[in-house]
Amino acid sequence: MHIPDGYLSPSTCAVAAGAMTPVWFTAGRRLRKVVTHRYAPLVALAAAYCFCVMMFNVPIPDGTTAHAIGGVLIAVLLGPWAAVVAVSVALAIQALFFGDGGVLAFGANALNMAFVMPFVGYGVYVSLAGRAPLQSRRRAVAAGAGAYVGLNAAALFAAVELGLQPALFHTANGTPLYAPFRLSQTIPALALAHLTVAGAVECALTIGVVTYLQRANVPLLRLNHRDVPLDDAEAHDRRLSENARRRGRGRVALLVFGIGALLTPIGLLAQGNAFGEDAPADLDLHRYHLQSVPNGLAHYAGFWHHALLAGYGFGHDAHPIFGYVVSAIVGMAAIAAVAFLLVALLGRARSRYGPRSGARSVPR
Amino acid sequence: MTTPEWLTRPETRFGPCTCCGRRSKGDLVEKTLAGSSRLIRSAMFSADMAARDGFLQRTDARVKVVATVALLLVVALVHHVAVVIGLYAAVLVLGVVSRIPCRFLLTRVWCFVPLFTGVVVLPAAFSFVTPGHVVVPLGTWFGTPVGLTSQGLTTAALVVTRVATSISLVVLVTITTPWPRLLAALRALFVPRAFVVVLALAYRYLFDLLNTVTDMYEARKARAPRDHDVARSRAFVAATAGATFGKAHALSEEVYLAMVARGYAGQATAIDRGRIACADVYVFAAAVTIVVAAMGVDHVLH
Repeated sequence: MHIPDGYLSPSTCAVAAGAMTPVWFTAGRRLRKVVTHRYAPLVALAAAYCFCVMMFNVPIPDGTTAHAIGGVLIAVLLGPWAAVVAVSVALAIQALFFGDGGVLAFGANALNMAFVMPFVGYGVYVSLAGRAPLQSRRRAVAAGAGAYVGLNAAALFAAVELGLQPALFHTANGTPLYAPFRLSQTIPALALAHLTVAGAVECALTIGVVTYLQRANVPLLRLNHRDVPLDDAEAHDRRLSENARRRGRGRVALLVFGIGALLTPIGLLAQGNAFGEDAPADLDLHRYHLQSVPNGLAHYAGFWHHALLAGYGFGHDAHPIFGYVVSAIVGMAAIAAVAFLLVALLGRARSRYGPRSGARSVPR
Repeated sequence: MTTPEWLTRPETRFGPCTCCGRRSKGDLVEKTLAGSSRLIRSAMFSADMAARDGFLQRTDARVKVVATVALLLVVALVHHVAVVIGLYAAVLVLGVVSRIPCRFLLTRVWCFVPLFTGVVVLPAAFSFVTPGHVVVPLGTWFGTPVGLTSQGLTTAALVVTRVATSISLVVLVTITTPWPRLLAALRALFVPRAFVVVLALAYRYLFDLLNTVTDMYEARKARAPRDHDVARSRAFVAATAGATFGKAHALSEEVYLAMVARGYAGQATAIDRGRIACADVYVFAAAVTIVVAAMGVDHVLH
């Protein structure tokens, strides 16, 4: 997938590098913010590790070997922004010193392998891992699935970049100036290689490393999963303490709510009407220098006639005090129901997509 | 003092490429060991070449980097194979005057290009990929002549020569420039400081990690007989990769503490980049001349 110089037009390379510039900037800023001065050695060693991962020959069933890239593995272990910098640096070293991947095509290679691959793979990992404990099999499988999908997404991007060349850059007699294969040829060609061999290797290595760390070195997994429970027992304990915390918060809310309810009758002591709440018929037109009720006000003031407790009572001033208190109780109950519903929905969304959903990247 | 010849002797079994998805037969332990030693050999060879007294070795790194990018752009922009071949010849001449073995440059490129780029672009020469004027007919397909087209052959030749020239150019510059000088040149050319620092540290400690990996594989090779079980071998590779990550993380902490002990406060300073000499200006002018000439010839041929 390392595209050498000569396959892509300079304009394609420029567009890819331009697309990567804000990504590199953001990655650098976020990492510096989180790991401060440790940033340089941590990311440098991650880049060196990424380079080493590409050296590991992984055996595949027919007796041959292949090797992985490790972009999603770094994203799972250190977060996707760290993976952006680490894989970019590894690609730069490969391009400059080992002729693997082009110098002009560095932006395109970084876009595919240092941005698309870690972010797509990490997204899949987070979605599949959910709230599973750190040592669960589900988390390792999710990492493997993320690696597989991430690698294939990167391959798809590379196929699109290569496949666009003959359509965009050719001479008058149809001679392609750069990569000669069309999209209909590049996408199946790269998909076949990556859906079968390369994807399986990436998946196997990622699952293997995560499983090994789950067994032998959990603190390393903790680097990017600080809020994830270690196992089922810890998850259970956390759930209990979380419920207790919620119950405590609920009691405080109920207390505030109850005090507000007890203070409701104060409204009965108030004299006159609140400004701007008069019915059109009760308006003091002279006071506001008006000759008549404005048309819009007259029209829209009465478009709803189905209020249950119109005027905070039973209508026709029957049992005004009792009606006012009943209105207050019904209103508070309605607001409490809506608030409860909103909190429940937000809590569910947060547990599914939020920072407590399983993985949390180092650069927060 | 130079590296002994036996240590830098390449192994003919392995090509220089490590691109993704490569599949090859052989024992995984031996292959990983060979890959690591090949990288270390390559780095030592580069250091030896950079220390020689040659034309490019004497040229300022900033001039070399700017000229290389300009030449890479020209190689990518010209449309005629003859012009690209001319640029490739110029690169070989530069290698010779820089006392780089011509055989090294040729084998470094032509062991890799035909194997990967050549095989990849070969189908493009056929009419079913690149339609056009059939110059080598191979038969008919539903009444349409099929074979090698002039457009397809031109494209294949253009891509192959471009890849070969670009790789030769980059290899030539990196092999004749000491690593710290190259980093200083990148910094001088407005590559962000953070990126240069990370690049420098990564390259420095890459070999430490490679040594660690090599030790683990050698230990395995020394203690265990050759294992043909795929699942066990895969578990070993995963465990090695996991252990290497642990060592990399621990090493990053040690490196950070060592940097702080030496006074690091978040800002790294580059080595003295020196002044650009008169000879460097001539080299730059020559590079500009080559760029303009190549573009001009390409325009005339067009």
